[in-house]
Amino acid sequence: MKSGANGDVVSGGVLTGLGVFVVIEASRWDYLAPDGPGPGFFPLWYGIALIALSLALMIGALKRRAAASETRADWREVGRALVAWAAFALSVALLKLLGFLLSFALLTLFIVSVMYRRPLGFGLAASVGSAAAFYLIFPLALNVALPVGVFGF
Amino acid sequence: MTKRTLTSALLSTALLFAAAPAPAEFKPTKPIEVIVHTGPGGGGDVLARFIAQAVEKEKLAPVRMQVNNKPGGGGLTAMNYVVEKKGDAHAIAIFTGVWVTNPLTQAEAKVTVKDMTPVVRLVLEPAVIVVKADAPYKTLRDFIDAAKKTPGQLKQSGGSITSRDNVIRQLMMKNTGANWAFISFPGGGERIAALLGGHVNMMVIEPQEAGEHIRAKNMRVLAQVADKRLPAFADVPTMKEAGVDIPNVPQVRGVVAPPGIPQDAVAYYEDLFLRLSKTATWRKYLEDQQFEDGYLRSAELSQFFDQYANRMRDILKEAGAKIVR
Amino acid sequence: MDVASGLIQGFSVALAPGNLMWCFVGCFLGTVVGIMPGLGPAATIAMLLPLTFKMDPTSAIIMLAGIYYGAKYGGSTTSILLNVPGESASVVTCLDGYQMARKGRAGAALGIAAIASFVAGTVGVIALMLISPPLAKVALSFSSPEYFALMALGLAMVVLLAGRSLVKALMAMLVGLWIASIGTDLFTAVSRFTFGQSELLDGVDFVIVAIGVFAVGEVLGNMEQREAAQVLPVPKGLRNLLPTLEELKACRFAFLNGSVVGFLIGVLPGAGSTIASFISYGLEKAVSKHPEKFGTGVPEGVAAPEGANNSETGGALVPMLTLGIPGSSTTAILLAALILWGLKPGPLMIQDNPALFWGLVASMYVGNVMLLVLNIPLIPLFAQILRLPVELLYPLIFGISIVGVYSVSGSLFDVWMLAAFGLLGYVMRRLDYPSAPLILGLVLGDSMERALRQSLMMSQGELGILVSRPVSAIMLGLTVLILLLPLFRKANAWRVRALEENG
Repeated sequence: MKSGANGDVVSGGVLTGLGVFVVIEASRWDYLAPDGPGPGFFPLWYGIALIALSLALMIGALKRRAAASETRADWREVGRALVAWAAFALSVALLKLLGFLLSFALLTLFIVSVMYRRPLGFGLAASVGSAAAFYLIFPLALNVALPVGVFGF
Repeated sequence: MTKRTLTSALLSTALLFAAAPAPAEFKPTKPIEVIVHTGPGGGGDVLARFIAQAVEKEKLAPVRMQVNNKPGGGGLTAMNYVVEKKGDAHAIAIFTGVWVTNPLTQAEAKVTVKDMTPVVRLVLEPAVIVVKADAPYKTLRDFIDAAKKTPGQLKQSGGSITSRDNVIRQLMMKNTGANWAFISFPGGGERIAALLGGHVNMMVIEPQEAGEHIRAKNMRVLAQVADKRLPAFADVPTMKEAGVDIPNVPQVRGVVAPPGIPQDAVAYYEDLFLRLSKTATWRKYLEDQQFEDGYLRSAELSQFFDQYANRMRDILKEAGAKIVR
Repeated sequence: MDVASGLIQGFSVALAPGNLMWCFVGCFLGTVVGIMPGLGPAATIAMLLPLTFKMDPTSAIIMLAGIYYGAKYGGSTTSILLNVPGESASVVTCLDGYQMARKGRAGAALGIAAIASFVAGTVGVIALMLISPPLAKVALSFSSPEYFALMALGLAMVVLLAGRSLVKALMAMLVGLWIASIGTDLFTAVSRFTFGQSELLDGVDFVIVAIGVFAVGEVLGNMEQREAAQVLPVPKGLRNLLPTLEELKACRFAFLNGSVVGFLIGVLPGAGSTIASFISYGLEKAVSKHPEKFGTGVPEGVAAPEGANNSETGGALVPMLTLGIPGSSTTAILLAALILWGLKPGPLMIQDNPALFWGLVASMYVGNVMLLVLNIPLIPLFAQILRLPVELLYPLIFGISIVGVYSVSGSLFDVWMLAAFGLLGYVMRRLDYPSAPLILGLVLGDSMERALRQSLMMSQGELGILVSRPVSAIMLGLTVLILLLPLFRKANAWRVRALEENG
């Protein structure tokens, strides 16, 4: 059971917040324009629907949480996934500076050697190899530009 | 040496020195980047690619021209990119009317055409007013009269409310006192389908898009939005001739460059495009696409931008769009 | 010109050695382009246009059309193997295709995709050939109310795609609707939800969301466990790499479904292959004897959407060739190409250029056969990708995702959004929110809102326009029925339980 009642309460809360935001923004625009429904029409309705459904989810989850004891989520697992995401986001941030090939090589090295604990030599080979493959396929063979950094590649 | 010879020698040496530090004439030394704000196949892109190809064919420049698509942001992405290329004389961009009108309504715009160096205006695209072939309107007057009898009930298909279709509609409605609805469709295909399917009554369309439908007798042309009659539509009245005297609102396309480029680079491009506009290749292109030659140099283009922006601001305000600058 | 003599003339054109070669070039390029996520046939065709100026227009259109429908074949490859949608229409193929790969049936999935594409593509060409003109007229009678009803029907598919929690599926769909409304409103030029960023004025590109939520989200989910480095099983032997006869038999209806639905929706300008594949998938699930298995890797779940997005090509060519109206961005470029070559696309084009039209049609038959022959042997080759140890495969997927998104617009902002949607995809997996409804909401939200507003503008505010026209009334009726389905099922369950308790 991947999702517990806790998750539903939090996500329900977040989405209720989104719904409220949407409704507030929608009220700033015209609900009805002279010719037909305005830009605020649709967002208002799906915003309201979102609020209604999220509240329903939250309340249902709160009841479940009160009724039964919760199996704890395995935070170690979530942590690994979030670290992986942070690495990915960092490589995106570095694209402007280092260009795709370097950032991607670093990301591969991190995933192979740090996250999956393979030997460093293997990690280096994998990262250089994959980066080279990307270089061969995309800019060379297909003429698809990859982001370049300050080093010019 | 006589005094006279010495004087003339000194004089000519002085003249030599005066002439020597003349600015070096700009000549491109690496491929010229042509920036467009649409993806491949969009209006500006097709023109840019044609220009690149024609310049190469006619050997008008010592280097190649390379089209760089920068779509997105409703055209603002390309505009931002042009301004970022400040000082780069090897980058130019194809602008359309949208570059002037979008910043008027979009608060997100960080730059406008005034932040760029105007180079040349190239072409004007006229438009024609069409109805379905079996519609009861034989002239523009018929349509206007029908619209007056049933205010708000006749319909026109077109693009967004800031598009040229709507601008023409606003001008017509104001001039004649008639009133009809405007229904936006995102793609040309859908607009035409709406007309041919009988769901709307009229549309404003580029002549070259309409050509085949007219030939197949599916559409009838009521008037053309142009200063003088196009050769392909010699027997169709212009707006003025049809009794609706509104200013001509052409779709414009031309070239701008990043800010801060040297004056002789601008002069070089002005000259390049002037030479291009005189070639047979270009003339045939204009004829095929049914464009009008609208060549204007940099200084006049700058004035045109101001006039156009001011006019659009007023029209769009009346059309109900929110103006932000 | 009647069909038989047209076809004879067409085949004589299409089978000429030069044109055969161009057909092959187009199909091959199309397959490659389709496999690469992000890069689409429209951009490729535009890039190749200058090369076509020196060619004979018939050969050129044969090649470009080959790229167009070839890309649809390739799009399923990364969807099935890596959960990375190769192009927008392949998103639906990810749902069951990737699950089949996880169960070791990657080869079978690829094979079914190829076969479905072939069958549907061929049916599409036949229909294009036989019923274009009358169908085009019918298509013209379709207008905003009918489009609205069609989109509403598509959204109702959410109910069918819901899986365990209907509430969460609906919430995902609503978030999809929200993302769809980001950008400039077409009718009033008002900016919605752009947070002051000019990059968001055109909205969020669907490809970014799809790749982020599906591919990146999936990889992040898999990286939770280090030791579960179980490679996706790749069965050995050619027999296990191709679909079994039972699987093919199960897809009988799916082949038909995909062909018909895809073609009909393709004919409508503005409705594209993504909608076609969703509706085809939903329809398949609705008539299936085991709907709860959809989403876990059933072959019909691959055959229906893949077929739909291929026959959509044939459908989209109908308005383009018979009326000169482009139905999608790719057909718009093909149209521009025809104009650049000096042809005049429009109602009279077929009359004026019968050799071009029939040559094109005949070449599409040939092309579909070529693509089938091209793709089947590639299956064992592609399936080997799954042999890579996961620590190598996952970075590769990250890399392909970034390149795919960047190739669409060249914008780093888009890559950032990819990262954000990747996180969203992971969170949704973790919290058990289904991602298909999100994509559905995103794809349909925009069109549906537009169609509704256009309809109300046409009728000057009368909602009645939606039900006074027969076609839209029928589709809306179907929508309501589908939405009430879960209630029927619940009511039925109560009834059965009540009977059991009493009896």
